[in-house]
Amino acid sequence: MFLTGNKYRSFIVRLLIFSVTLYVADFAIGKVLQKLYFKQSSGFDYQTTYAINETTAPFLVFGSSRANNIFDPTIIEKELKLPCYNAGRYGEPIFYHYAVLKAVLKRYNPQIIILSLDAFSLAKDKDDYDLISVLLPYGDSHPELYDIINLKGPYERLKMISKIYPYNSLLLPMISGNLASSKEKNYNIKGYIPVQTTISGPLHTIDYTKNTLLDTTKINIYKAFIKDCIKAKIKLYIVCPPFMINAIGMDNSIITAKMVANTFSIPFFDFSRDTFYTTKPKLFYDYRHLNDKGVALFDKQVMDSIKFRRPDNF
Amino acid sequence: MSSCYFYMAFVPIYIIILGFTIIVDYFAGIYIEAAKDKRRKLFLIVSLIANIGTLCVFKYFNFLNENFSFLLHGFGLKNPIPYLSILLPIGLSFHTFQAMSYTIEVYRGNQKAERHFGIYALYVMFYPQLVAGPIERPQNLLHQFREKHHFDSDRVFDGLKIIIWGLFKKLVVADRLAIFVNGAFNYYEKQSSFSLVLAMIFFSFQIYCDFSGYSDIAIGTAKVMGFDLMPNFKRPIFARSTGEFWKRWHISLSTWFKDYLYFPLGGNKVPVARRNFNLMLVFVISGLWHGANWTFVIWGGINGFYLVFAILIKKQKDKFNKWLHINQYSILNIGLQIVITFLLISFSRIFFRAGSIKQAVQIIKRIFSFNGWAINEGKTMIAYSLFAIGFLVMVEMRREFFPTSFSLSYHKIFLVRNAYFAFLILTIILLGVFDGSQFIYFQF
Repeated sequence: MFLTGNKYRSFIVRLLIFSVTLYVADFAIGKVLQKLYFKQSSGFDYQTTYAINETTAPFLVFGSSRANNIFDPTIIEKELKLPCYNAGRYGEPIFYHYAVLKAVLKRYNPQIIILSLDAFSLAKDKDDYDLISVLLPYGDSHPELYDIINLKGPYERLKMISKIYPYNSLLLPMISGNLASSKEKNYNIKGYIPVQTTISGPLHTIDYTKNTLLDTTKINIYKAFIKDCIKAKIKLYIVCPPFMINAIGMDNSIITAKMVANTFSIPFFDFSRDTFYTTKPKLFYDYRHLNDKGVALFDKQVMDSIKFRRPDNF
Repeated sequence: MSSCYFYMAFVPIYIIILGFTIIVDYFAGIYIEAAKDKRRKLFLIVSLIANIGTLCVFKYFNFLNENFSFLLHGFGLKNPIPYLSILLPIGLSFHTFQAMSYTIEVYRGNQKAERHFGIYALYVMFYPQLVAGPIERPQNLLHQFREKHHFDSDRVFDGLKIIIWGLFKKLVVADRLAIFVNGAFNYYEKQSSFSLVLAMIFFSFQIYCDFSGYSDIAIGTAKVMGFDLMPNFKRPIFARSTGEFWKRWHISLSTWFKDYLYFPLGGNKVPVARRNFNLMLVFVISGLWHGANWTFVIWGGINGFYLVFAILIKKQKDKFNKWLHINQYSILNIGLQIVITFLLISFSRIFFRAGSIKQAVQIIKRIFSFNGWAINEGKTMIAYSLFAIGFLVMVEMRREFFPTSFSLSYHKIFLVRNAYFAFLILTIILLGVFDGSQFIYFQF
């Protein structure tokens, strides 16, 4: 191809006009989306914003849905006499928990943290890296999160040139987060999402042997989470709540997590196969989550264990 | 060189396979042109064996071996032939078919043998269309590699527009729908009938946007560089019969099978029974081209059956229409034909998408069990999917039914054109799915 005088100039001019139009539109729409995002008053994004930017609770809970549904701050506060916030988020892996911890530590040091683990918290799963995208709206204001955001892919920083990109696929949740009714706003209690229903049917047996390969990046992030807590003099407790399931091959992650916790002398409460719970389906709403009846018993038990370990403090 | 690099970015070693077929076909072309009578055929056969043989080894060996094992098992025998543990080279079916079209056209005298090895290699390896077509013909592409291509800003922008539309189809429509479709097909036993019907319809849009999206990107990229590739899709969602559908869908493959298989078998000039058999054969082979699995064979068979059945009932259908005074050109009639064709094609694709015949049958059984309307996915997912489909159908409708009016992409005002493409790009950024999913047709 040969670039000749006029044609070349016309091409550059047209390209320039188009690029400027695109940049201005992207910037303007991105700003509107940013406003809309941070104005939300309910929903998961709101909970993340609150955890990252606002909470000052000395007791924090981290984890996926097995944190949101299982750790009730009202019980914790009653037992330990400490304000608590449940900073868990449905479906999110260890990357998210560590990112929120980093953002929190920039502002203040909580006294106690519970990290709730799932059966596959350290297992390989490509999809978990895609879930890092929920942190993108915080990239600009929290540069400390970039180490985690970059795990999503090598070009994330480049993509963030676009002001719209951080809000990819978030338009509808954002609208609903802004238009939420008061009922929806009260749906969660300090991050805890109660569930009243009870599991039906027999005990499941699921073969998870395919999902047991461990992810070294996740293990390293898990270690970093522990190290940062130790450095900030936070009392960290790692908890694996019970499963109403007879799962083959789900122990790999839990065993490794326990080993790592032991290396750092961090208490690890493993209830994954605790028969007190696994024999009582009425305490579960599905095979991975306790219902409110189960939560009342379980949270009390965890708090007792914490009090027993640190009797001097309570 | 850039084509070599592009191909080697996937599995570098497979460049050797490509190199092998390129060398064989390059010399076969020259020898076919130089030889006379039977020797011409001999060289053509050598070329075809090399290409089909490569396909058989890498794509069909394990499939054939598995069926051989099954057959021997019926007689209580064990198959001594081991399975091959190899990955299918990316786009193998595409570039072998393109290479075969070259030697066949040289044999038929429609194309001169290419003496420049580099140009011939580029014909097979031209990177925009190397891995998923369009499957080009030598008459259309080879001469373009000899021509000088001067910079043309209009052409560059036209190419970029096609690329942007292709990206929209892939990232906003196909990949969004894939989330629902994958969930429904992978956990079909937990789905309601309605959810599976929705997944069936969504899959039709998904595969269309996935494949035609790639074709658009390929055609647009080639255009930016000054090359014209053949169109591969002509809005197949508006086909009014399954016959018309195949004239609009994957045109480069459909015409390949028509020119190099259906016509040599006798085309339309043979008795009806033979013609119907030929049609079935072509469609079954076309199914097998897509993948080494009985599901693809059945998918091809169903589509062949649609065509044969349409031919068989044509007279009765015409009489029936006349009896009912149905106006062939009424909007209602056209709309109904489009919907029925779309549903028939979508139904056959259950076999295309399912992992096994058993799974496909289970899905069909579940659809016809009419067990409810529940949808497992959230409202947000469905809303995004419907927006994506709605926008696509609107744009395609405009192009199909009002080709000269309301065009924003070719609007006479520069700013309107600009705004439209900025809107498309921003919509891709806002609503596209960026999880690194592959194009479905790469595997073929």
